[in-house]
Amino acid sequence: MKVLAAGVVPLLLVLHWKHGAGSPLPITPVNATCATRHPCHSNLMNQIKNQLAQLNSSAKALFILYYTAQGEPFPNNLDKLCSPNVTDFPPFHANGTEKARLVELYRIIAYLGASLGNITRDQKVLNPSAHSLHSKLNATADVMRGLLSNVLCRLCSKYHVAHVDVAYGPDTSGKDVFQKKKLGCQLLGKYKQVIAVVAQAF
Amino acid sequence: MALFAVFQTTYLLALLSLRTYESEVLSEPLPLTPESLKVSVNSTCQCLHLQWTVHSLAYHQELKMVFQIQISRFKTSNVIWVENYSTTVKQNQVLHWSWESELPLECAAHFIRMRSVVDDSRIPESGFWSNWSSWEEADAQNLLGHDPLFVFPKDKLVEEGSNVTICYVSRIHQDNISCYLEGVQIHGEQLDRSVTAFELKNVSFIRKKGTNVFCKMEQGGVLGGIVLFVSKVLQEPKDFSCETQDLKTLTCTWDPGSDTGLTKQPSQSYTLFESFSGKRTLCKHRNWCNWQVAQDSQETYNFTLLAENYLRKRSVSILFNLTQRVHPMTPYNLFPKNVGATNATMTWKVHSIGNNSTLLCQLELLTEEKVIQQHNVSIKVNGEYLLSELEPDTEYVARVRCAYTKHFWKWSEFISQKFNTAEAAPSEAPDVWRNMKMVSGHPTVSLFWKPLSKVHANGKILFYNVTVENLDKPSRLEVLSIPAPARSTELTLDQCSYQIHVTAHNSVGPSPASVIVVSGDPGNEEVEKGRVNGTEDGFSVSWKPQSGDATGYVVEWCDGPQDLPCVLQWKNLGPNTTSTVISSGAFRPGVRYNFRIYGISTKRMAHLLEKKAGYLEELAPSDNPQVVMSNLTSHSFTLSWKDYSTESQPGFIQGYHVYLKPKAGEQCHQAFEKTVLPEDSVCCKYTIDNPEQKTFVVENLQPESVYEFFVTPYTSVGEGPLDAFTKVTTPDEYSHILIRIILPMVFCVLIVMIICYLKSQWLKEKCYPDIPDPYKSSVLSLIKSKENPHLTIMNVNDCVPDAIEVINKPEGSKIQFLGTRKSLTETEFTKPAYLYLLPTEKNYSGPGPCICFENFTYNQAASDFASCGHFPVTPQAPPPQLGPLTSPENLLKALEQNYMNSLGEIPAGEANLNYVSQLASPTSGDKDSLPTNPPEPALCSEYKMQMAIPLGLASAPPRENSSLSSTTLLGQGEHCS
Repeated sequence: MKVLAAGVVPLLLVLHWKHGAGSPLPITPVNATCATRHPCHSNLMNQIKNQLAQLNSSAKALFILYYTAQGEPFPNNLDKLCSPNVTDFPPFHANGTEKARLVELYRIIAYLGASLGNITRDQKVLNPSAHSLHSKLNATADVMRGLLSNVLCRLCSKYHVAHVDVAYGPDTSGKDVFQKKKLGCQLLGKYKQVIAVVAQAF
Repeated sequence: MALFAVFQTTYLLALLSLRTYESEVLSEPLPLTPESLKVSVNSTCQCLHLQWTVHSLAYHQELKMVFQIQISRFKTSNVIWVENYSTTVKQNQVLHWSWESELPLECAAHFIRMRSVVDDSRIPESGFWSNWSSWEEADAQNLLGHDPLFVFPKDKLVEEGSNVTICYVSRIHQDNISCYLEGVQIHGEQLDRSVTAFELKNVSFIRKKGTNVFCKMEQGGVLGGIVLFVSKVLQEPKDFSCETQDLKTLTCTWDPGSDTGLTKQPSQSYTLFESFSGKRTLCKHRNWCNWQVAQDSQETYNFTLLAENYLRKRSVSILFNLTQRVHPMTPYNLFPKNVGATNATMTWKVHSIGNNSTLLCQLELLTEEKVIQQHNVSIKVNGEYLLSELEPDTEYVARVRCAYTKHFWKWSEFISQKFNTAEAAPSEAPDVWRNMKMVSGHPTVSLFWKPLSKVHANGKILFYNVTVENLDKPSRLEVLSIPAPARSTELTLDQCSYQIHVTAHNSVGPSPASVIVVSGDPGNEEVEKGRVNGTEDGFSVSWKPQSGDATGYVVEWCDGPQDLPCVLQWKNLGPNTTSTVISSGAFRPGVRYNFRIYGISTKRMAHLLEKKAGYLEELAPSDNPQVVMSNLTSHSFTLSWKDYSTESQPGFIQGYHVYLKPKAGEQCHQAFEKTVLPEDSVCCKYTIDNPEQKTFVVENLQPESVYEFFVTPYTSVGEGPLDAFTKVTTPDEYSHILIRIILPMVFCVLIVMIICYLKSQWLKEKCYPDIPDPYKSSVLSLIKSKENPHLTIMNVNDCVPDAIEVINKPEGSKIQFLGTRKSLTETEFTKPAYLYLLPTEKNYSGPGPCICFENFTYNQAASDFASCGHFPVTPQAPPPQLGPLTSPENLLKALEQNYMNSLGEIPAGEANLNYVSQLASPTSGDKDSLPTNPPEPALCSEYKMQMAIPLGLASAPPRENSSLSSTTLLGQGEHCS
């Protein structure tokens, strides 16, 4: 529940700030009608591609900034501490249909958004003076929110998908400081790896 | 009977059991074993928490007991801790005890057991320990996950300087696990097969966000770590004090010391607790806190300030009376009122403290950041004070602070206010001095005055009035107004005496007048000159008192060196003063300063008394004179340096040293002394002790010897720099005689050479002419005199020119005679024409041998052309227009006149008439002897080059047709004669 309070809930509030915001995503029937509050952008896929490219271009810098801020042993032991061994990370199949890829993208971005929320929260406590890292994390989260909105809009407008089941990463609030740093590093390493594949797929 | 027996038996049994109970509880020691022992692990504080009960206690019974607790690590036999815990135990009470482990509990299993003993005075024989409880195991390792490597304790928070034990638990039993702190490997002790502990002693603060401590396996890519937080030690608050400004709110302040805040731990908090009222407040700031004074007129307060963080608490207390801690607020509305030139009234207000409280206020007056007045005033709310004895036109700062009168604790902060007093008329006359000089024959006085000091100016000086009054004849006063900040003026006077008044004016009025009397006489009288010695303090100038009445003296000097414009300075002195010290920051060592001492008469007129010159510090001369050497003889020479000025030297010149280096082996003359120069060379030195003697004759020298001399002045400090010596060589003793002979001879030879050069042409003609003139030959006279007195020489008229070839020039070129440049004719010729120069046809002898000359000097082309064989002499009638030339006399005359000097004046190519060949013509005046009918030419010779032929070698000239005439041809024709 802590993860919901700290990372996921604010994200969902932003993404779904409309009637019923704050409640879990309803599981609607597949054939249910889908309506968006605002009309989707005419060139939505280009927007999605651009946002993915933007994330991809900044992922490496974010990763470096993160592990540098954690201090030793992180910068010199990336293979041991920051390897992208995130077991429950949503899968992505680049050769799937556009709808399938969009759904998987939605799950990935939702997962990453929640995890970034946790990381941002932790780093503000653990590294209060790492302002550039905080700024980069916030900027990435902003782009992810926009991307998530666009993906949902695309799913809704073209494929009439009103909701997607999503999963979130582990809650780090109860973990020790070293473990928080390590989990954050692993997540950002995974993010850097995945976002390259996803950006290539679109 | 049976019933009785049963009753009796029951009674006895009951009695027996009661007896047994009493013996157990009251008289016999009862072993009260701890029961229900439970052990729990608290990882946060690395504590083992124990709880148990003692069930054997009677109801409402309280016993003081001692529990002995044993703690073993890894195995029960490895006891690491034994402690006796004393407490009072009630029936069914759950007892608690905690133990903090140095080794993180996750790294080792711990076993705990305990036993007890009654330690109560009510039970005298109670010294028996109970049995041990069974071992209870506390093993936090069971809670770990499946990671291969764990490091503990997690997120440990310790104080700086404390000891920390870190351990790791390895699921893979490897030896090659290394641990690091801040990049430095740490070494520990292996406690178990899979557990190693590291003891960090006296840890220090590194950073607020903690320090990563990690262990890693060299193989397997496994790394585990923790973050260790080291906090600074919480310090006791310093300088804790409380005070009030209005008896309503207390403000307590303190010095918090170091901030102990970390990522893991917030900064220390401060709580203020007042013991009399029992109130407390959590302070929002690190170093101050407000406390509301209660309305119940509490006067005494006992405050305790408690500082605490996660690790420690610190406290400090103070006890005080409220009225003794009054620190009034800063006064306000401080203003000057009725500001005059010498006084001003200051008003201000204070914040009231309680009811009818009196404040003691201190009013200070400052100028130039110095307190010059201080006044104490007791007020309630409004303050007012009259400041007097102020200086006009002066900026002052007034400031006020106040204190509680009842119990002085602290002054309030100052409030300050600037103000300026009004101006007043200048209080003192300007200090005036004069300098007399003649400008264009008129006495001119330059008046100087010093600006009034701020104390005497009493405001900004706007202008100076100079009033000139003629003392000798009544006239109108002349008033000059000179705007400030001028400090001098110049007046042109006549021979009369004048009284001059100088006043300084500001916006309020004039100053008293400064009076000085001058006369038309510049006063260049000769007075005594002396010297004055300079000291560190300046020049100590003294003079003889003026005979008669003197109202004072003035010493005048220039601040700068002599070669700079004079900045006139003067100093007024009283009538009884005969000495003073002149000091100035402008005085420099090595500069001559001239002082003039004037006496001021009762008529305010100044008379020059003495002149003094001196140096603040004499220096050695900086340069040497330019020495001129003269009168060099074989035995002496004279040195002079008359241009050397002794006045502009860095010290009084006392004389000169003349150094002379004699030739090797020569001794110094008697007047010289032998001395050794710095470069170890020996020379002779002569000392001239008269600075005005600027010539010196070096005598007694050896002829034909080299001497070196050098002249340097000296002062009391030393002599001038050692320059290069000048070499001089004494001449031979007889050389002057030789010079007297040789020079005139050389002069005469030169004269002769010049004359010869100038008369060379004449000589040439006389001695070796290019073409010898037989008439001028001395041979002739010899022949005549010795052999044949009738012998004659062929006259030039014997050779008659035969023809002139005139080249027709299509451009109509003018034909000129060379030399005369006179136009011969304007006639154009289409063919080469031959001009017959023979006067008659009959004289023509027809074609025959001819004489042909070729002169390369004039025209090489023409000479190439010239060929005797191609030069026909065709008899033709001469053109009538050439009449004037047909006369042989005319032609010969022209030729004679232009011979030798005409050709060179006309460049070849310019003249139309080209002179191809030339005959030496007899130019002597023997024209009368020329035969009228010259003989026909009998020979034809070819003459290639003109050259001088010695008379002896020359062949005999042909008698009849020798070349005694010359013909000039115009144009590029050919010539033959």
